[in-house]
Amino acid sequence: MTLVLSAGRVRVLFVGLVLLHLAVISHQVDGGGGATLLQRSLLLTVSPLQRAVDALLGGAAELWRGWGFHRETYRENRRLQARLRELEAELQARSPGVQEAARLRELLELRRTLPLSTIPAQVVGKEGVPWFRTLTLDRGEADGVSLDAPVLSPTGVVGRVFAVGPHACRVQLLLDRDSGAGVMIERSRVAAVVSGQVAGPGAGADDLVLKYVPERADVVVGDLVVTSGLDRIYPKGLVVGRVRFVGKGAGLFRDIRVEPSAGFDHLEEVLVVRPARESLDTPRSVLQ
Amino acid sequence: MKRVVWTAAAILGAVLVQTALGYLFPGPGRVLDPFLLVVVYAALVGGETDGMLTGMAAGWVQDALFGGRVLGLAALSKLVVGFVAGLAGRRFLISGAPARALAVLLASLADALLVPWLASVFSVELLPLGLLELLGRAFLNSLVGGVLFALVERRLERRLS
Repeated sequence: MTLVLSAGRVRVLFVGLVLLHLAVISHQVDGGGGATLLQRSLLLTVSPLQRAVDALLGGAAELWRGWGFHRETYRENRRLQARLRELEAELQARSPGVQEAARLRELLELRRTLPLSTIPAQVVGKEGVPWFRTLTLDRGEADGVSLDAPVLSPTGVVGRVFAVGPHACRVQLLLDRDSGAGVMIERSRVAAVVSGQVAGPGAGADDLVLKYVPERADVVVGDLVVTSGLDRIYPKGLVVGRVRFVGKGAGLFRDIRVEPSAGFDHLEEVLVVRPARESLDTPRSVLQ
Repeated sequence: MKRVVWTAAAILGAVLVQTALGYLFPGPGRVLDPFLLVVVYAALVGGETDGMLTGMAAGWVQDALFGGRVLGLAALSKLVVGFVAGLAGRRFLISGAPARALAVLLASLADALLVPWLASVFSVELLPLGLLELLGRAFLNSLVGGVLFALVERRLERRLS
């Protein structure tokens, strides 16, 4: 960084670096996506850093919550001696540990009911740039995670793995503009494709778009949307969300918005489905 | 060597801030770009070489940890922003807090326009950034950058005196 170069050389270096980046980007685009060697190497290098940061933040958050908890308890204790028992119970119910246990219980319940082999994973990174909707999980190839593996939460489909490192992987959320999943309306069995929205930020910006639904198809607000299994990525019958809006589209198809069931803003623990060809068909709406 | 270590530490700090923002407040995590602040500061202080190399490094880290399927978009964008900010830093007197905040504002706007443009060139699908979000992001970066740069400068001045 302390390089002292002439103005001409700096410009040559700049142009060289720009061309190099253009080549790297175009190589990935031509390669058709998937886990390139570059992605694997970068994940291998930077995932321990992100894991450490997550652990540090988690510790700090716990410390902060613990401090607030004790202070509040002390004050309440002095003012409301008579209500001590009730208050403690309330505080315990609010404590992060109990909440985490509840979340894990939900996840465990889902794991038991799902006829699929899954890997529990922790979210260690999310929401970096405004243009993509991705997550980083603390499980990788060494734990059995594979490329394109579906990722689920107790309430619905989260997305799929698009890059795998040895001990971490990155997930493309269903909300991502570039995502897509084969789905159907559970009631009427109308098949469609769901993907992230084109619209920018604003009301309902985190809704999904149901594509290729003909004008005369039987879809009403409140219909449950589940995976169809036709994309050969998401097993059949997993809940994606509920139809929030049905309108007239610009062309032959309807304009339909779906409210996703996975709570994308509060994801902390998820399940990654292990690859198994025979397990692509699951019973109807196992995530309801 | 010392500067490399400081730059690496600053990028690490940006990772920490970005992860913390995403962890604590999902929305603002997408609004503030701490990597850009590191790039602009390095460029204004060290010139175009420092700017572009820092931009490249910060961009790659951002791409790897927070980017999408195609890596290198943020790296290329920040490389260009760092280079241009470095050139501007040499040509013009950008020393006071308001001037630096303005530099961050322009860099932020340039970055927010460059990434979608590059993505469109390579047919990479992006979530579009609304005008309001684009301006909000630029102003927030500029505000945080202005304050942060002033604090760093004050600290350096104290150490030197």
